[in-house]
Amino acid sequence: MKAFKAELSKLFSLPYIWLALLLGAFAPALFAALDNFAEKKDIIAGISTRLSEVGYIGLAFGVQGVIIVGVLAVSSEYVRESNENGGGQQLTTSLSVVPSRLSFMLAKGGAVTIISILLCVVAIFTTLTVTRLILGEYAPTFDWSKLLGVACYWVLTALLASGLTFITKSGVIPLTVLMINSSVVSLSVVLSKVTKLAYYLPDRAGIDMFMSMSDSVHTPLAGGFVMAAWAAVFFMIAAIVFHRRDVAA
Amino acid sequence: MLTIDHLVKRRGAHEILSGISFQARPGRVTGFLGPNGAGKSSTLRILLGLDRATSGSALINGKPFAQLANPLMTVGAAFDGSGAHGMRTGRAHLRWIARAAGLPRSRVEEVLDMVGLTYAAGKRVGSYSLGMGRRLALAAALLGDPPILVLDEPVNGLDPEGIRWIRTFLRERAEFGNTVLLSSHLMGELAETVDDVVIIKRGKIVADGALEEIIGTHSTLEDAFFALTAERAGDTG
Repeated sequence: MKAFKAELSKLFSLPYIWLALLLGAFAPALFAALDNFAEKKDIIAGISTRLSEVGYIGLAFGVQGVIIVGVLAVSSEYVRESNENGGGQQLTTSLSVVPSRLSFMLAKGGAVTIISILLCVVAIFTTLTVTRLILGEYAPTFDWSKLLGVACYWVLTALLASGLTFITKSGVIPLTVLMINSSVVSLSVVLSKVTKLAYYLPDRAGIDMFMSMSDSVHTPLAGGFVMAAWAAVFFMIAAIVFHRRDVAA
Repeated sequence: MLTIDHLVKRRGAHEILSGISFQARPGRVTGFLGPNGAGKSSTLRILLGLDRATSGSALINGKPFAQLANPLMTVGAAFDGSGAHGMRTGRAHLRWIARAAGLPRSRVEEVLDMVGLTYAAGKRVGSYSLGMGRRLALAAALLGDPPILVLDEPVNGLDPEGIRWIRTFLRERAEFGNTVLLSSHLMGELAETVDDVVIIKRGKIVADGALEEIIGTHSTLEDAFFALTAERAGDTG
């Protein structure tokens, strides 16, 4: 518990984290607003085929905030000081305080999970508010089970980001890959045109927890299970690599 | 008590440590000396559980570091630089460590005062000089008021005043019965600080004993170091 509190303290004392929290809290609402304006005419006319996606699409695209939280939580440990300043890194200090690497990883995972849940609650509030303001009486009712699915999607995405960063020891690759994949070009969407296996990639399966798209293949529960399995496998690989690797390596 | 016993470390085909053994005892400042790349940092990293030994053991009061119940209250360590993230303030860095060890916030202010860093505690670590970073690392090591200190090149980057301060400080720690193990490649800086000397060269211990024994008939510790390393390692120059 002390290690978990220390991880929260570490995260909240990094200035970048506040940028990530701002992005996480308001980007989904912005995405949803743009989508709402684009679909409003069709929704009012009763001919929109995307009513079930309204709002949720913002929450799917707006996951970048927790990706940054997940990556930063780990990459900040590996950032090296300049040679003029001794070339040290925080990880040395962290493991001098919490010697068990598994406890260290669990504390970090716990802190990322809690922050992701809280951030998701705020994002759901801003997104739903914006959707109701724009669509008024035409706004769809939001289902609690689907909103729970959104929270799971955000937490699992953040944990995947952390696990990946433990393996790469740097935030550059995970941040680039995950940010582009969640906003610009989704690898799983492109691949799904080629093979059905793409539906089992973590982001594509995870989205089935809260969005019923025309080509969905998973039930919300199955989608969540597939994404959770990915996160668990990534975290296990990360734990093995992190446990065996020298800090100096 | 710190006990290094037949420690071997290989990385690929390269043998960094070739079965070294020595002890650092309570009430003594032990200087772990050797040129750059001799294996000093690797030894200290293994002692603190940061790197893995290929074979042999490095124990703190008879236990591996990972098995210590309250690591920060047992051993304080400082390695390269500040050991902090550059975007965080010095005070915030010490606060998360204090939180991890269950120590009160007031202890953070105490150690900042001890190392003379209170004036810069609210500044980002990235703006610190090397010397300030080293003081912050020492403050982190002292947070739990541990009976054992392990410091890797503690005088690196310190100005003459800082070096003098750390000498006095470490001597006082030892006089109160604490164990101090410090590594350095600067022989001259350490002669006035250490009680015992362990000299390592190319992963092998070439001398281990009390300061007077090591100096022997030589005029300074530095002379003794060069003479010993030349004899044992087969160097002629």
